[in-house]
Amino acid sequence: MRSDDPSLKRLKPPKLTLFEQTYLPQILGGLVVTGRHIVNAAVGTGSLTMEYPEVQHQPSANYRGVHRLNKDEQGRVKCVACMLCATACPVHCIDIVGATAPESWTDREKYCQSFVIDELRCIYCGMCEEACPVDAIELTSFYDLTGLSREEMIFDKTKLLSVYDLTKKAEPMKSGIVAPDTDRTNELYTTPTTGPVIERQKLV
Amino acid sequence: MATIIIDGQNYELPEGAKFNAIQAARHFGIEIPYYCWHPALSVVANCRMCEIEVGTQDATGEIKMLPRLTPGCQTPVRDGTVLVTDSSKVLEHRKNIMELLLINHPLDCPVCDQAGECGLQDYSYSHGRAEHRFVEERNVKPKKDVSDLIVLNTDRCIMCTRCVRFTREITGTAELQIMRRGDHGEIAIFPDQPLDNPLAGNVVDLCPVGALLDKDFLHNQRVWFLSKHDTVCTGCSTGCNISSEENAGKVWRHKPRHNPYVNDYWICDEGRYGYKAANAPDLLAGNFILDAGDHHGVATDRFFKRLNEDLTHRILDKQAVLAIFSPFLSVEEAYAAATWVKHLTNRSTLAMGPVPVVGQDQTFAPDKMTGRSGDTSFLMPRPFTISAEKVPNKAGVSLVLNQLQGSEPLNFDDALKQAESTPIVIVFGGSPNSDWITVDQAALLRKAERVILFDSTINALADTADYVAAIASFAEKAGSYVNRDHRLQHFEAALPTREGVWTLLDILAILSGNGRAPIQSRSILAEAAAKIPALSKAKDGAVPEFGVNLTGKDAPIPDAGFKDDWTLANLAQI
Repeated sequence: MRSDDPSLKRLKPPKLTLFEQTYLPQILGGLVVTGRHIVNAAVGTGSLTMEYPEVQHQPSANYRGVHRLNKDEQGRVKCVACMLCATACPVHCIDIVGATAPESWTDREKYCQSFVIDELRCIYCGMCEEACPVDAIELTSFYDLTGLSREEMIFDKTKLLSVYDLTKKAEPMKSGIVAPDTDRTNELYTTPTTGPVIERQKLV
Repeated sequence: MATIIIDGQNYELPEGAKFNAIQAARHFGIEIPYYCWHPALSVVANCRMCEIEVGTQDATGEIKMLPRLTPGCQTPVRDGTVLVTDSSKVLEHRKNIMELLLINHPLDCPVCDQAGECGLQDYSYSHGRAEHRFVEERNVKPKKDVSDLIVLNTDRCIMCTRCVRFTREITGTAELQIMRRGDHGEIAIFPDQPLDNPLAGNVVDLCPVGALLDKDFLHNQRVWFLSKHDTVCTGCSTGCNISSEENAGKVWRHKPRHNPYVNDYWICDEGRYGYKAANAPDLLAGNFILDAGDHHGVATDRFFKRLNEDLTHRILDKQAVLAIFSPFLSVEEAYAAATWVKHLTNRSTLAMGPVPVVGQDQTFAPDKMTGRSGDTSFLMPRPFTISAEKVPNKAGVSLVLNQLQGSEPLNFDDALKQAESTPIVIVFGGSPNSDWITVDQAALLRKAERVILFDSTINALADTADYVAAIASFAEKAGSYVNRDHRLQHFEAALPTREGVWTLLDILAILSGNGRAPIQSRSILAEAAAKIPALSKAKDGAVPEFGVNLTGKDAPIPDAGFKDDWTLANLAQI
C-alpha cells in the first residue's frame, strides 16, 4: 500500500495534559508493577523462575515446538505431498518428494515419498500447519530439542512420524482421531522408540 | 478504418485483422474469459464463459443491442460492432457459469498437478463466487489412461472439447471423442486405440483444467516452484519455441511457446521429452588430458595453459589444423570457435560435424475445413513440421563456416578421411546424445597426432582424445540457432553450468585472450552480424521475439502473438 493511498485512515495521537507531559504517572505506574513482582517473589508465591530440569516447564496448548507428521486411521502418513507447507514456509526448511500413491490407496492419488524438515533452519512460525489441507503436519509442544550434529537435526519422514507416535495421546490431532489422554508426562517422557528417533528419559 | 466500441470506448481495428470479440478485446487490453475457444481450433462455443453483450452501431450513430448474451468467440468484430464486457448482467452470468462448470468438479486442488496454472482456479478467483449451492450428489467419473504418456481424469473435465478438436483438426488422427451425452458425457478413446500420435502431448497443454495430465511430470513438482526459461528445442531443425522449466538444478518439463512462423502453439513429443538429456547423470564433468594411455583430470587453469602451450608449439611448426563443428553449436559458439581456429593458423580446414537424418519430414497441415465441424471463419491454419534433420543449427553453423573459410565447409565423411593426414584435429561438440560419434569414426579421427575435444557428453571420441574439455550442455548455454527456414532465434539458458564447467564462449575467450569470461552471447552475435552479411539482420545482437528471417521478409500475421491463456508457457508473460 502506498503512503498516499486515499483509503488510508489517518489517526492523530491523543493530546497529553500538562500533568501527563511530566511522565510522572507512567513512571510511578511502572514502579508499582516492579514492586509487586519483588514482593511476590520474596514471599514465594509468585516466583517467575523454576528449578529446570528437575521441574519441567509445561508450555501452553498453542505452543509451537517440533513438528510431527500425522497418521490416519490405517496408520498411513496423512500427507498427500501437495507441498503447500513447503510453499508457505518462509525459510524453505521443508523438502518433500511426492509420488503416485499405491493402487490400493483408493482415497488418494499422491503421497510423500520423502519428507524432510531441517529443524535448525525452522523458525517455528507454524505457517506449515496452517497451510496443510489435510492436517498432516502439526507442531507439538516439544521445546527442548537437542542434538550432537546438524545432520541429526534434519528430521526425515520416519523421525517425524515417530514424533507423532510419541505425542499422539498427549496432543490429539486437531481433526481428532485419537482419544485425548491428559496424562501428558507419561507419554512424552517414557514411550520407548525405535530407530533414529528422539529418545528422552524422564529427568529426575 | 474499422472502429469498434468496447465498454463505451472507441477503438480502431488494425488493418487486415480478422478478429472475434475475444481477440479484439485482448488486442486492446480488455479481458474476456474463455475456456473452449482456442485460436487454432474451430469455434464450438460450448463453455459459455465468453458470453458478453453485443450490438451494432448504424450509420446514424444509433446503437442496437442484441437482447441476450452472445458468445464472444463466435462474434466477428467489424466496423460498428459494440461489445459490453463489464455490465452487471455479464458479470453475474460469468458467476453462474463458473458455478455450473464446478458442479461435479472435485475439490482436490492440493493433489492436482494443474493447480497453479489451472483455468478453473484462475477464473474462480476472478469471476466465480465463493459459495456452492449444489446439494445433490456429485457425478463422479472414472480416471482413465488414454496412452502410455497421458492420463485422463474425467472427474475434473469441463467438456470444453479442446483435446477432441485438436486430434481431429490439427493431427487429423481423431483418437479422442465424447462418449455419451449431457451430464454423462465424458472424453474417451476407442478400446486399444491409444492417443499416441507424435503431437499427442499437446492435449495436456490445451486442457484448461487438470483433466489431461502428463504421466512423466505427474506428482513430481508443483508448477509454482518452476522457473521458466524461453528457449528453442534442439530436437530437430524446425526450432520450436519452448519454455524449459527448471527447479533445484533440474529441468522438469518442456512446454511450447507460441510462434506463428515456426511452431504455432505446438511441439512434438520428441521435443517435449528431450529435456531428459539435460539431467543426464553422465555428462562430462571436467577437463581431462591423455597421459600414458590414461585420462587424468586437470584443473581448468592448468588445462588451458597446457593446451595453449601444446598448440602454440605445434602451430609454430606450421602444422595444419582440421576443425570439426557440431551442428548443435549456437551461431555465437560456431563464430567464436571458427575465429579462434583461423587465428591459430592459416593452414586450417573447417568441417561440419555429423548431421543425423531420421526418416522423412512429417508435416501436419491442418486445413480450414477438414475435420472441423464448428465455426471456422476466424481460423488461419498453420502447418507444423517435424523435421527429419535432428539437429537445431545446421544452417547457422554452415553460414558461419562458409563466411570464415570462404567456401563450403567439409562434410563429416570427408573430414574423417582428411584426419589421417592432418596433425591437429579440434572437435567442437555439443550434442546431447553421446552416440553422435561411433567408435569407428573416433578411431579415424584418432589417426591425427593431436585430438582436442570440447564436448558435454562422455562419448567414443572423449575416450580417446588427447585433450577433453567439458563445455556447457544444450540446456546450460544461451545463444541463437538458425532453423531450416533460415530463421534466427534466440534461446536462454535453463540451468547454470555444471560445477567446474564453463561455456564454450568463456573457454574460447580465455584461449584466444579476447575478452574476459563471462562472455555475453549477444556481444558475440553483434560481432558476427557486423562481419557476416548473412547475419546482418541481427544488428547489435538483437533478436526479436519471434526470431528474424535471415533470407526474406516475413508475411505479416495479424493474429500473431495472441497468447492463449491456457497454453501454459505463455502465462508467465501476461
